[in-house]
This record gives sequence, C-alpha cells and structure tokens, in this order.
Amino acid sequence: MARTVKRWLVLLAAVSLLLVNAVPAAASPAPYESYNYNYWKEAVPSPDAYLPERTISGRDLGISEFKDPGDVNVSPSGLIYILDSGNSRVVVLDPGFKLLRVIDGFMMEGSKETFNLPGGLFVDEEERIYVADTGNSRVVVLDGEGTLIQTITKPESDILSTQFQFQPLKLTVDHVGRVYVVAQGVYEGIMQFDESGKFIGYVGTNKVERDYGEYIWRMLSTKAQRAQMVLFVPTEFSNADIDHKGFVYATNIDPGSNEPIKRLNPSGEDVLKRFGYYDVKGDIRFRNNPGPSKLIDVKVLGNGMYSVLDATQNRVFTYDDEGHLLYIYGGKGNQVGTLKTPVAIEQSGEHHLVLDRGKNNLVVYEPTRFGARVNEAVALHYRGEDTEAVNIWREVLKLNANYDIAYIGIGKSLLMEKKNEEALGYFELGMDRKSYSVAFKRHRREMMKEHFGTFLTAAIALIVILILTRVAVKWRRRRQVDREAGFH
Amino acid sequence: MKQDFIKFPLHLIFHPIDAFWDLKSDNRGRLHVAYAALALTIVMMILQKQYAGFLVNYIDPRTINSIIEIATVAVPFFLWCTANWAVTTLMEGEGKFREIVLATGYSLIPIILIYAPMIVISRFMVQEETAFYYLFNSIAFFWFVLLLFIGMMTVHQYTVIRTIITMVLTLIVMGIIVFLGALVFSMLQQLYEFGYNIYRELIFRT
Repeated sequence: MARTVKRWLVLLAAVSLLLVNAVPAAASPAPYESYNYNYWKEAVPSPDAYLPERTISGRDLGISEFKDPGDVNVSPSGLIYILDSGNSRVVVLDPGFKLLRVIDGFMMEGSKETFNLPGGLFVDEEERIYVADTGNSRVVVLDGEGTLIQTITKPESDILSTQFQFQPLKLTVDHVGRVYVVAQGVYEGIMQFDESGKFIGYVGTNKVERDYGEYIWRMLSTKAQRAQMVLFVPTEFSNADIDHKGFVYATNIDPGSNEPIKRLNPSGEDVLKRFGYYDVKGDIRFRNNPGPSKLIDVKVLGNGMYSVLDATQNRVFTYDDEGHLLYIYGGKGNQVGTLKTPVAIEQSGEHHLVLDRGKNNLVVYEPTRFGARVNEAVALHYRGEDTEAVNIWREVLKLNANYDIAYIGIGKSLLMEKKNEEALGYFELGMDRKSYSVAFKRHRREMMKEHFGTFLTAAIALIVILILTRVAVKWRRRRQVDREAGFH
Repeated sequence: MKQDFIKFPLHLIFHPIDAFWDLKSDNRGRLHVAYAALALTIVMMILQKQYAGFLVNYIDPRTINSIIEIATVAVPFFLWCTANWAVTTLMEGEGKFREIVLATGYSLIPIILIYAPMIVISRFMVQEETAFYYLFNSIAFFWFVLLLFIGMMTVHQYTVIRTIITMVLTLIVMGIIVFLGALVFSMLQQLYEFGYNIYRELIFRT
C-alpha cells in the first residue's frame, strides 16, 4: 500500500514537472538580443526585425551534407544557388527551398572539368552562373543547365606584373555582362572584365590612411631600417554586389577604416550616402577585443537598402540609402538563428538567407511585423511617397518608440504638407537638426507674417508711451522748479 | 546698492583700467558683488545647458547635473584666486587676496551679460544664424580674459609681460595644487584604510 502511494507520488511529481515546462519560458523567440544605436551612440534594445525561420542543410535536401560552403546567390528569377566549395558543386534550389539540381562539373574541350575550392558565385538575369573558381585561377561562366559558356583566365595586360597570380574570390556582374572580380592579393581595386572576358582595368581603390606617428618614425630611420618596415598598401576588398543602376557596392575588412562600405560609381568614386548620425561601419561601440565589425559580405536589397554581414560578432546590419542604420540581427552561437562562421548574405523574396560555413547550413530569416513595416516605410520614402509612409511610420513607432528614423520620416512628411509647427516636435524627437532648422525657418516666417501687425502696433504704442512719460516727467519737473522759484 | 551692483560693474567692463584702479585705491569693489557675479555665472552655465535652443544645444539632457556645474565654475575660480595670490606674493605683486577675488569676480560680468540674452535668442535661431550664437559666446569669453588680464595688471601694478608670466604661472600652480590635493586625499584614504584594518584585526582577534 505504502509502496503504491509512493509510486503515485513520484508519478505526480514527474507529471507536475512536465506541466511546468509546458508553459513557454521566454517571450522572445529570438536567440539573440536585437538593438540599435540612438543619437547618443548608445546601444538601446529594439524589437527583433528578423527572426530565424528554419535552416537548410545538405541532408534536408536529400543530398550529402555541405562542406565549407562559400557563397550563396539568388538569381533575379528567384532560384537559390549555393556554392558548396568543399564538395566542388553548385546546389540549385527553387524559391520554396526544394532541390532542383546539382552542378558538380562541366564539359570543357571534350573532358569533364570540376571546380577547385571555388570562392564565390553570381547568377545574372539570364540564369548564367559565374563561378569564381579560386583554386583553378579562373572564372567559369555556365548557363543554367551547367553547360560551359566561357572561362575568364589570368588577364594579359601591361599594368599587371608577370608574377601576378589570378585568384578570384568573389564576383558580381552588371546587366551588360561586365564582370567585377574581387581577387586575392589585389589591392589596386576590383578587377573589371568586359562581357567577352577581356580585362578592362581596376575600379575603386581603398585609400591608405596616413599614420603621422609612423610617418615621423620613418623619417628618423635609416634606409636599411626603412627597407625592413612593413609596406603600407591599401586593403583588399572583401566582397562586392551590384544594384540595378550598375553601381558596385563593395566591402573591405580594414579594421581602422570608418568607410568600410563603398558604393562605386562607373568611374570608381565612392558615392555612398552617409547622412546618419554615425559612420556606416557596422557596430560603432565595441571592445578592443574582438574589435570593430569585419564586413565580409554586402547585399543590395532594393529600394536603396543594403545589408552587410559582420564576421566579428556574426551580425547583419541593414542600412537605408541615406546611411541610417535600420536594424541589426544575428549573433554568435550554436542555436538556430545564431551563426558560427557566416560567409554570405542573400535575399529571397521577403526572406534573408545567411550561409553559415561553420555549421554547413543556410539560415532562413523572416521579417517580423516590425521589420516588414520598416522595410515598407523605407521603400515608400525611397520612392518619394512620404505621405503614404507616415501611417506605416506611426505603426513602427507603436512597436518601437525609440525609432528615430520614423520620427524624422513623419516630420518630413508634415513639412511637405506645410504643417511646420507639428513637424518641429517630430524633428526634435528624431534629433534631426537640419530638418528642424528648415521647419523652424518656415514656422518663424509664418508667425512673423501673422503677428506683424500686432507687433508693430505694440511697438508704436510703447514708443508713444515712453515719449509721453518723458514729456510728463519733464513738465512736472519744470513746474516744480517754477514753483520753487515762486512763479505760482 | 544700485551704485555697487549695477553702475560700477557696468562702468568697469567698459573702462576696465580706470575702474580696476578705483576698485583697488578707492575701495570701490564689494566682495558680495564678486560672489554674486560668480553665482550668476554658474546659473547662466546651467541655464545655457538646459534652455539653449535645440539647434545649438548638443548636451545630452540626461547628463546635466547642477552640482557638477557649480563645481566646474566655483572650484577653478577659488583655485585661480589662491594660486594667483601664491604666485604674486612671491613676485612682488601689490594685490591682496581680497583684491584678487574682486578682480576675478568682476571679470565674470560680461559672461553673464552676454549669455543671458543669447540663451533666449538661440531659441529663435535657424541653422545659418547659429554662427552668431557661437560668435557672441566667444566674445564673452575673450572679454572675460581681457578683463581678467587688466584686472591682474592693475591690482598687482605689473607690466604687461609680467602679468602674462604670472598668469601662466598661476595656471601651472593651479595644476600643482590639484595634484597635491589628490595626493593628500589618496594618502589620507590609505591612512584611514590602515587604521580601519587594524581596528578590524583587533575586533576579529578578540
């Protein structure tokens, strides 16, 4: 009897434990803490903009596991191409993440060729696959089925030294077929090839920052010492992407740079807008160890937005076309949604894809209500439809009252509707002094126009009163003097 | 009253050489006017941080602390007076400590007179006009320095070069005082720690 009771008690205890755990413990489903930077450069908590939805590994697709995947690209038609570098193959998925085909080689001059540790790939509008075949020192161009179109090999040019090693790492292609290649050890810029594979030249060079301490040190040293010193050469680019206008977005991993993201116009100048409160460089507050963000991939999202992938803290930073930081997600870890060794970021419809080399899988992130609203409002603002954007900004503010860009967005729309006084408050909340000044100028002029009559009347009345009192005082004094003199 | 608080200070800032001499020889300065000027300067500093217009106010409102504001003005003021007195006593200056305090206090008046209207006006400025705000604030500061210079020169009966030398020396001595103060403070703290540790040992042993 006693034994049965004991048994029941144990069972009850076990069941009660189960029941306690059945209640979800955490309210936030994200395995990372989302934040954003405010005007004072403090990291403040923010709602999650993107949440991990699922991961896709080789086994999920029914093929062997990925091995050190190097790059992922989504073609304009929506197909997802994963470059599985360690297995020397390209895995093609449809937009629903179902396996379409695997390209593990191609026929060239009658013999089968394979890739050798390829670093990057890009797919253009006509489903042509460009693979940076790093180990074989070439860029391979295939059609959608995997048939060879052409290869781009080590270029012949006067400006290249004879010992030059052509090791393409990442690449992107514009709509006329020019290929932009980020190659290993090339610090002159991004290599540009025309559609037939001929080398045109370099675009965009990272500037060397002058270190004055080093400069003085160099002046003091002897020639022999100077020859022993490190050579200061510009840093290499780490990745590139292209927008629909043909501007190349490029990232570099120079830790000292405040401009690690560049938007290069056709003549190679950096034209990225940096109108935000702080530099466009990922994290702006960090400890000396691990150091600043190391941006290894950039993805143009459309509507002027772009995302960059940071390999220091494994986070994704998204900016709008004016350089405002919109949201941050991701982080280090082993859970679904945190990343071990991210290598590439892509966009597939609404989803963001991050390829994780460390975990050999592709993480799919989907936007939350907050993230989707922000994207929507930024897109409307980019197209100039600020009035439509206002309602969405108001909804964003309900989700995150610290969202400065939303305040500025509403303010700008009010300014356009000539509601200057109302706009002032929003600009002050958004800490946008420039727009505040514009609104205030208009408001002040309106006020002056409105009250000019009253103001002038009051001024004239004041002057008249002053004169009258003066006269009265004088008159009284004279009377007093007269009285003392005995005239009255 | 009116003479002390309004007329003489206004006369002083426009005719400093005459007025500082009157202040010294005719005993025209009042200590409570000098302290009032100091207090008003502190008030102006606080008001400026709190109420200057949005376009010129880059202060994070969460960091404004009146106690610290008082300390950042009053401590250097008295430090200056002490250091200056110490230096000029050794360098044949004729000024008494009271006169140094008076000269320094009266020199602060332009800051009060310019800051007060600028705080109000800055609230009605647009971006392009903020240059005037910064211009007038710099004028206030340089006026203060000029008055301080003339004040020191007159009070101590120095030549121009000697005044400059003593003023630079005063700044150095201010640094030395702060350094010694910090040293003494840390020594006292260690001493206290030592005594407290002995006390604790005794308590725990018995």
